[in-house]
Amino acid sequence: MDPITMEGDFCGSDYEKEEDDEATNHLRDRFRLSTIAIAESEAKQNNMEISQPVMVCISDLAFKYAEQLAEDLELFAHHASRKSVNMNDVILSAHRNKHLADTLRSFSYDLKGKEPQSEKKRKKSSNKEDKTLPSVLHIDS
Amino acid sequence: MENTFDQDLIYAIFKVIWSKKAIEREKNEDGETSKGEERAGTSKKNRPTSANSNAVKLSCELLRLFVTEAVQRAATIAEAEGGNKIEATHLERILPQLLLDF
Repeated sequence: MDPITMEGDFCGSDYEKEEDDEATNHLRDRFRLSTIAIAESEAKQNNMEISQPVMVCISDLAFKYAEQLAEDLELFAHHASRKSVNMNDVILSAHRNKHLADTLRSFSYDLKGKEPQSEKKRKKSSNKEDKTLPSVLHIDS
Repeated sequence: MENTFDQDLIYAIFKVIWSKKAIEREKNEDGETSKGEERAGTSKKNRPTSANSNAVKLSCELLRLFVTEAVQRAATIAEAEGGNKIEATHLERILPQLLLDF
């Protein structure tokens, strides 16, 4: 971006950027296909047709939103001095809209409920219990 | 109904942003402290953010809600105007409030 870096790794950065854009474009196309599928089925439910430019527009909006969401989630996670984003960060990103946050919260409970990797958590919690148990026993004895 | 975003796709989009940010952070820190002492520590610190799978699923749901809300609101306007096809003008009408709500 700035002249210093341009001088530093001249053709390298340009090439990288091009490749980067290509990857982003590919992702955007895939994203668009998913959006169109969702939008069309939603329109059908409302007994409506939806014109192509509207769908393209919505998908671009949603893509921008996704990029912004990524930045927000990263900031939230880092603020909590975490390296990985968890469900609370996602719920937090919708905090301005109470209804939306509530919807996401109930969805997150659903996810937690039918979690397939609950064994991991069980293991973790059992580890914690193992750690806490001795101290409890100590107190008891 | 079952239509939703692909988890891998959303995660890939997030990853692109996060690795970009990580590179930026690295550059910034190189500019500030080019002493080379804390190089090992910073490279660890600047590792791109990741996300757990439930968080990605929840993000997919959030984005799906964004799209369905857009369509539903535009459909309401289109219906009020007596049409049965959602056009750009309908989207224009609902756009400001939609963007405020998300």
